[in-house]
Amino acid sequence: MAQITLKQIGHSYSGGTRPGDYALCPLDMTWHDGRTYALLGPSGCGKTTMLNIVSGIVTPSQGRVWFDQRDVTGLPTARRNIAQVFQFPVIYGSKTVYQNLAFPLVCRKWASDRIRRKVGEIADLLDLGAKLGKPARGLTADEKQLISLGRGLVREDVSAVLMDEPLTVIDPQMKFHLRRKLKEINDRFKLTLVYVTHDQDEAMTFASEILVMSGGRVVQSGPPEHLFEFPQTTYVGYFIGSPAMNFLDAEGQGDRAVFAGIPLTTAYPGDRVPQGAIRIGVRPEYLEFVATAGENVLAAMVVDVQDHGGVRIVEVEVGGARVKVKLAREKPVPEGPALLRLPPGKIRLYRDGELVPLD
Amino acid sequence: MRGQKYIFLLPGLLVLLAIILFPLLFTIRVSLSAWGVSQPGLNWIGIENYVGVLRDQRFWQAMVRLGFLAVGTVIIEYVLGFSMALLVWRDIRFRRVFRVLFLVPMMTTPVIMAVIWRTIFHESLGPANDLLGRIGIAPVPWLTNETMAMVSVMIVEIWLWTPFMFLLLLSGLLSQPREPFLAAAIDGAGPVRTFFNVTFPLMAPISVSALVIRLIEASKIMETVYVLTSGGPGTATETASYYIYIRGLRDFEIGYASSLSITYLIIMIVALTIIAKVLVRTMIGKQA
Repeated sequence: MAQITLKQIGHSYSGGTRPGDYALCPLDMTWHDGRTYALLGPSGCGKTTMLNIVSGIVTPSQGRVWFDQRDVTGLPTARRNIAQVFQFPVIYGSKTVYQNLAFPLVCRKWASDRIRRKVGEIADLLDLGAKLGKPARGLTADEKQLISLGRGLVREDVSAVLMDEPLTVIDPQMKFHLRRKLKEINDRFKLTLVYVTHDQDEAMTFASEILVMSGGRVVQSGPPEHLFEFPQTTYVGYFIGSPAMNFLDAEGQGDRAVFAGIPLTTAYPGDRVPQGAIRIGVRPEYLEFVATAGENVLAAMVVDVQDHGGVRIVEVEVGGARVKVKLAREKPVPEGPALLRLPPGKIRLYRDGELVPLD
Repeated sequence: MRGQKYIFLLPGLLVLLAIILFPLLFTIRVSLSAWGVSQPGLNWIGIENYVGVLRDQRFWQAMVRLGFLAVGTVIIEYVLGFSMALLVWRDIRFRRVFRVLFLVPMMTTPVIMAVIWRTIFHESLGPANDLLGRIGIAPVPWLTNETMAMVSVMIVEIWLWTPFMFLLLLSGLLSQPREPFLAAAIDGAGPVRTFFNVTFPLMAPISVSALVIRLIEASKIMETVYVLTSGGPGTATETASYYIYIRGLRDFEIGYASSLSITYLIIMIVALTIIAKVLVRTMIGKQA
């Protein structure tokens, strides 16, 4: 596996260089050996373009791609030694499972007993051992995806494994199984894995680092828990977490954030609170219903309750705004008027859409 | 109310009846008569004509010749058409020019092109022998030697119909997803491996359609033979449809020609059905 470095990589399909022309705005990025990265963002945010630049399907209109000490910008896909799993399972329909897994090795002219050993090993790992003799086209979609991955794993020289929304066409129950399998393989092989998805759950469970993208830019990158706790922008707050982070229009006055006329205590040092128009961000998971009035407690009105099985999403109206509260099933849900507490340590402040740093 | 839908179907049904069903049934009836120059009109002679057909060696030879001609030309057209489609499929320079150029033969009128080819193949005046003469090759009896006449007919047919094959296969190639080709590149497959493991299997369904459509068309070969060789020398290039034409419209043996037509139709339906099934089984396999 290799370390992948993107130096001032940018791509514009039209060839233009104005900011609006870029599908991927010029950026610097390093993906370390053996780590897992998830590119997360809505359709058209540039994540697939970035992946295709790494795999060599797209030649960037500017910048260089390095695998370790090697500049691979001009190299075609075949010579980059990457493995890629596409959204739709790609198998050689006329071949058996064994022949599919052996294909990259046959292309590399390995001896047949060496191929047999390696394919057997990978097939066992992927739970495909019993199906080696079967025609590949008869398998289920998730098994076909495993074959796609297996064709990458059988090779010993792979620089990175790239996955472009590999779970999109998989049935939900199979998805869970396949996701677990992928994670298991990843833990064992310590792959440099780049995973493109628009599903935050997938990104959260897989990646050691998540890159949230929007409009061709990386808005924020970091470990999943950091992105959850400290969304850099309101966009990331909306995008990460389900339901999205609550944002309330407020005003900074002295060391307090005033919402609906009520001054709220935050974990921000007094001189850090910006004065004037700000937004308060607080996760639905951290809001709580309380019985008595007190600090940071607001009068609310329960409007709607959605049952999500293990949790319930309670929508309340507070100070003219709608707020969502995520409650564990065993906790009681108030009806009508209620008191809502915003824990000071979990309040984030945003100015012009950007997080105000805590320290 | 429910009867109304049949009223809407009626125009279509009437056309079908007039141009397919009636001629077919009428031909069957005529084939059971001795309608000809000496017997102008329908009478009833039972299956006498069909007994004649079974004994008609010239007809069966024409059928075998037709089979060879059709299968031979279609296979060559497929190979050439596929190669040309692969050539202009990807981004190459002047791709559009090539695509249009390859389609020119298809846009011409077959019978006129056959006349032009007859001129090209003319033994003393045609440019084909003239060109060969310039590089020191003796004149080829294009249309007077039995084997060469057959070759000439095949050349013209291939020239005329390869573009059709090209067009079908190119549209097939253009509609293929990119990923399997990328995956093959990533797996390290070269162009030949990619062709046999990705391109050909992906193109199998459309290949079968193209082959069957062309086989049906090729079985009807008539104008090229008529113009180029008139079935000659002797009967060396006489195909079934041309022979039926001779018996029916030149010798005016309407009854006998009808029985030939019906026999031809049945053989074609059976043969093409079998060929289509075999093609599907061998090229697509259990996928179908």
